Amino acid sequence: MTIAAILLAAFGLKEALLLASAIFSVGVFGVLSRQNVLVILMSVELMLNGANLALVALGRAFLAEKGTAGPRAASLAQVFVVMVLAVAAAEAAVGLAILLAAYRRWRTANAGEISGLSG
Amino acid sequence: MDAIAFYVSGIVSLIASLLVVTRRNPVHGAVFLVLFFATVSLEFLILHAPFLAVIQVLVYAGAIMVLYLFVIMLLSLKPEELKEEVKAGRRVLAGAFSGGLFLLLAYAIRQSPRVASPSAADLTAPVGPAAPGVGTTEAIGLELFQSQVLPFELVSVLILLAIIGAIHLTRKQRAAPAPSVPLRQAATIARGALSPEPRPFTGGAGRPAGEPVRPAEEAVL
Repeated sequence: MTIAAILLAAFGLKEALLLASAIFSVGVFGVLSRQNVLVILMSVELMLNGANLALVALGRAFLAEKGTAGPRAASLAQVFVVMVLAVAAAEAAVGLAILLAAYRRWRTANAGEISGLSG
Repeated sequence: MDAIAFYVSGIVSLIASLLVVTRRNPVHGAVFLVLFFATVSLEFLILHAPFLAVIQVLVYAGAIMVLYLFVIMLLSLKPEELKEEVKAGRRVLAGAFSGGLFLLLAYAIRQSPRVASPSAADLTAPVGPAAPGVGTTEAIGLELFQSQVLPFELVSVLILLAIIGAIHLTRKQRAAPAPSVPLRQAATIARGALSPEPRPFTGGAGRPAGEPVRPAEEAVL
């Protein structure tokens, strides 16, 4: 794509959702491939952000519709993102507390070496 | 103009997220995560969500990242502890799985009638007449405290539980109090044990039995 094409181009719901799913997939890759619990928790944050981006983009697509249903749907999508944000904060707090407790017990932050539950 | 900003911030956020999952040092990952949150906040701004853009910076980049950096500081991992022995096959498998997931999502997006509808073709198009207030603090607050007040209260309970759980998990473990004498006698009688005293509790609360507690280790924590 040339620069002029980019300057004139618009972005639609498809591009926004593709970006969101790409971010989500990167988060999945981080959770599956890494051993450091801190990085795994950060990858979960990436996944939550991808979902948030998809929600906001879908709400923005509803805005262009006629009537009051579209703006209402957009507002509800953003309220949902606020809820996801609160859940993400709670998840980070509990996850990091578990990591600290596990570090005291095993002296490592490596998920492969924390194997007490498997006996 | 919006489209350029969206594409640039989208590419930067994608690169930053890839760096988050590939850097070995979690501090570097955290810094790239801050960059990622900033670019996502810019995308929220373009997508007509100014309140969320501010909240993203305040809560994610401000609060959650400080929490992460505090934990990194408390752990103070040495460079040799950061080495991860991940088999190459596992990394390839993870890449294949996440790539397949992305392709599946892309296929679903392509098939979706919602995406194909004309109103979704251009997210930079001007909004309808009823929409100018959408995304402001007022609109989100009204929705949050009128129709969504029950989920809002439930989220507050969830955060309270998370606080209690985090405090409980990170509290230093104290030795379990010895049971009172009548209870001990009752347990001995009930078991019909030959030994007059029950076996002493050898393990600490969070430590396997038989492994001695090193005093220096306890002092560090």
